[in-house]
Amino acid sequence: MLIRAMTSHYRRHPLQLLALALMIVVATMLWTGVSVLTGQARESLAVSEESVAAREAVVRADGQPVTVEDFVTLRRAGVCVAPWLETALGDPARRVIGIDPLAMACFDVPPAGDSAVGVAGELTGDPFVDISEVTGGSGRAEQSGQLSLLISPDTEFLPEGYQRRSFQLGPATGELADSFLLNLDALSLLVLFITGLLVRSVYHLGLAQRRSSFALLERFGVTKSRLQRLLAMELTLLTLICVVPGVWLGQALANRLGQGFGLALDSLFDLSLYAGEDTPVPWQAGLVMLVLVLGVCLVDRLIPERTGYQSKPSEPAVLPWWVWALMVAIGVEMVIWAFSLVWVFVGTALVFTGIGGLMPGLLARSADAVARRQSPGAPLGRWRYRELAVMFRQLALPVVALQFAMATVLAVQALVTTFEDTFEQWLAQRLSAELYVEIPESASAEGGSRTLADLNGLGDWHHVRRGKVQLPDINAEGEPVTTDLMALSPITSLVTDWTLLESVEEPWTALSSGGVMVNEQLARRQGLSLGQRLTVGIGSASLTMPVVGVYADYGRPAAELLIDGAGLPDDFTPSFQSFSVNPGERSVKDIGQRLKDEWQVADLVIRDNASIQALASQVFQQTFLLTRAISVLTLVLASLSLLVMGWVFFSTRSWYFHLLGIWGLQPDAVRAQLRRLALLLTSGVTLVALPLGVWLTWVLVSRINPLAFGWSLPMAVYPGFWVELGVVMALIGLVIAWLIGRQLNGQVSLRPGASLAGGGER
Amino acid sequence: MSETVLAAAALSKGFRSGEDTVRVIDRLSFTLSAGQSMAVIGRSGSGKSTLLNLLCGLETADAGDITVADQNFEVKQGVASPAATCQWALLRKRTIGVVFQEANLMPAMTLLENVQLRASLAGHRAGGEMHWLEQLGVGAEAHRFPDQVSGGQRQRAALAMVFAMHPEITLADEPTGSLDRQTAEEVADRLFEVQRQTGCALVMATHDQALASRCDHCLDLGEGG
Ligand SMILES: Nc1ncnc2c1ncn2[C@@H]1O[C@H](COP(=O)(O)OP(=O)(O)OP(=O)(O)O)[C@@H](O)[C@H]1O
Ligand SMILES: [Mg+2]
Repeated sequence: MLIRAMTSHYRRHPLQLLALALMIVVATMLWTGVSVLTGQARESLAVSEESVAAREAVVRADGQPVTVEDFVTLRRAGVCVAPWLETALGDPARRVIGIDPLAMACFDVPPAGDSAVGVAGELTGDPFVDISEVTGGSGRAEQSGQLSLLISPDTEFLPEGYQRRSFQLGPATGELADSFLLNLDALSLLVLFITGLLVRSVYHLGLAQRRSSFALLERFGVTKSRLQRLLAMELTLLTLICVVPGVWLGQALANRLGQGFGLALDSLFDLSLYAGEDTPVPWQAGLVMLVLVLGVCLVDRLIPERTGYQSKPSEPAVLPWWVWALMVAIGVEMVIWAFSLVWVFVGTALVFTGIGGLMPGLLARSADAVARRQSPGAPLGRWRYRELAVMFRQLALPVVALQFAMATVLAVQALVTTFEDTFEQWLAQRLSAELYVEIPESASAEGGSRTLADLNGLGDWHHVRRGKVQLPDINAEGEPVTTDLMALSPITSLVTDWTLLESVEEPWTALSSGGVMVNEQLARRQGLSLGQRLTVGIGSASLTMPVVGVYADYGRPAAELLIDGAGLPDDFTPSFQSFSVNPGERSVKDIGQRLKDEWQVADLVIRDNASIQALASQVFQQTFLLTRAISVLTLVLASLSLLVMGWVFFSTRSWYFHLLGIWGLQPDAVRAQLRRLALLLTSGVTLVALPLGVWLTWVLVSRINPLAFGWSLPMAVYPGFWVELGVVMALIGLVIAWLIGRQLNGQVSLRPGASLAGGGER
Repeated sequence: MSETVLAAAALSKGFRSGEDTVRVIDRLSFTLSAGQSMAVIGRSGSGKSTLLNLLCGLETADAGDITVADQNFEVKQGVASPAATCQWALLRKRTIGVVFQEANLMPAMTLLENVQLRASLAGHRAGGEMHWLEQLGVGAEAHRFPDQVSGGQRQRAALAMVFAMHPEITLADEPTGSLDRQTAEEVADRLFEVQRQTGCALVMATHDQALASRCDHCLDLGEGG
């Protein structure tokens, strides 16, 4: 009987139940999607890092490729080596790496990492497969693909005729990926927060609508605590029912989006890396949602006086405005001055909380102020702004949630676009020439330079030498601080269009005449500025050079300095040398052949940078697309809740729109008022979301990133996107107005009171 | 004083309830001259509110015709033409003032602002609103919001709104219905006083015999449907 009474409200207002259920389903779906995607992105990137991590291999001193015989010779000599066979497998062909887990037993740290080689030595899947799968049992590994022999870094002794060489499969995405993941994490926390706000607001609005029937039940002798228990049970049941399809939909969504991501990753690294297939159903996400929904909806029961349905739907701000304002001020200060990430996060949370407490009141006051300034000759305008003020007060929670969601969308859009640009730039900088030729250790770099210089019709090229140099500082262990050096010669257009964060006039000429450029990481760490003189120990010499430029060097943890190779002392031994070459009119084959002839080697590593660049940006585009999808979903959720709440709210006030009709406004004019009101509501929220979004962008790129990784992303704003968002919000406003307009027309009874329950607030 | 401002002829209205139709108003006719007042009485459910809604075009009769200030509305099929809807809206804007038992005011506006809104919709320039509030005895409360004054004061403000539009006809549906006896009488006193001053016609639905007897005419809808 009691249950019947409880459900009767929803039988009369099925849409309200539907709205709450829909909110829970969409919220669960969003959260599940976000957590699955973040998890997958993290795992995929981890595997990709591992497969492209630098390793050491043994090569023959005579330049010939290694064979199975070499493997046997080395093992017999007691050297810990293991085969590593890169090849294409399957249809469509994908690049896999064949390894021999047994041979790897002598490595202290398994080179293919934990994720590939299980404890018992069995292989867990792509990209690493058992070598016998690749060779098909023929034993002629070198015929099945490109064979390398990995060597344990601890190995000291190598037999005559062999050398070590480090090798890498592709460019390491490094911290650019980490940074992106950190931002993705921050985003999902924000999503959870917004979701909580929204679910709570819809639930409480529903409760407010049922206040009178609860009062009735109480008069019939049902105790308050019994009623509360029933309500809690009702909510638990509803959440349990709704979480299941939410989790399922979220996973389906994540997998759909993730597949594209996986494909792109595969093609970038020529390996199957995507960790997203066959993920178990993410029930934890469902559990989190269950706890969240029950938490945010029933938290009031813990506070004795303000029990659930008794509080007003608007829940007027419990704290005075200056407390909220103080919160914002402290938060902003904290973010500006923070010296660790934690404080940035705390500060950001404070700012959001403060703004959440401040904003509805502020919006309502501004609407009231505008209303006061309307001339008495335009009382309809005044009425509209007064109603707007009521709405901002009554719809405080969804308004704040929508503002946060929009700020998030704005920040994510700016961040993603910035990342895209940055990533393109970074790739262009790292892979500046079309070809990359590794200089074998036995070969003479000067000979190579001469060969290239003599080639007619060749495009720009430079000789890259990398190594370590010493800085004047001493670290905590009392050892001199070393840093990476990159020396280029000659200085050509391959570098002269790099992005310089700071530079003297004619920076590249200054570099050639004995200057030094430092990357942003080094500049930040050493507090270097333009014109300052930097003393570095290169080889046995000590050079003092003026800083002539600071270059952006995204996605690398390492500090680096750049000099003209012509100024290098003779006894500097580079750890790595290569040529970056634009072939110009020459063919790749021709260039390769000439260098092989010059160096008398049979085998040369030549990489096609253009295709790597294309593939790399493809991967990131997918990731960015995915992030955008998440943020758009957040916006959909927030808009949906505004739609639901706006609708419920307008229904309680529909009598006052009727009143306008009774006072002689034509139906079209009433609908026009409705439209203008709804548009004012959504555009007001958009307006306050803009500065918050810009601020959030700034926090992400200029505070969180430098603190976490030592480099900042350029801050950019995209007003074009603001306009797009504004249009979307306007459309939502129009939909609300249209829904209410329909309801007004459909309502036959024109008696006050019938539709007045709880609508007379101001 | 014999100019007719409101007349109904053979007016009928019924509501469907399930299969059959219940006739609430059955071939009703009356005329009302300018400055005169008429009480509409009858049991609850007898159709008083329905009649008032018909007289201001908020509901459409099934048959019969209504004449308001020289404009004739004849109903054929029980549906209002768009032109008639538009015409009724115009009449409610300038000619017919409507007061309900409650909720006549916009809650987010002060009493004065409410009166200003109503007057401006009727096409009057801003200025005289305070006068009407004072006339009805709520001048002191002009700057308060509806939820800051008593029910009686709200009804007075609602009447002030109607008079501020200088209507030819005022339709009042139990304007004192939710007030206590004492307050109801005070509000009624003001109402009749101002009605006489302005010379507008008044149609008032009421349960209150005493109130009905103060009107010039009385229309009894009887037991009703
Ligand atoms: N929209 C409607 N649909 C169906 N029936 C209606 C509708 N409006 C009114 N009625 C019916 O018409 C009859 C007259 O209603 P009305 O509200 O006019 O009575 P009333 O005399 O004003 O009553 P009260 O004194 O209680 O206000 C009632 O039986 C009512 O149930
Ligand atoms: Mg009635």
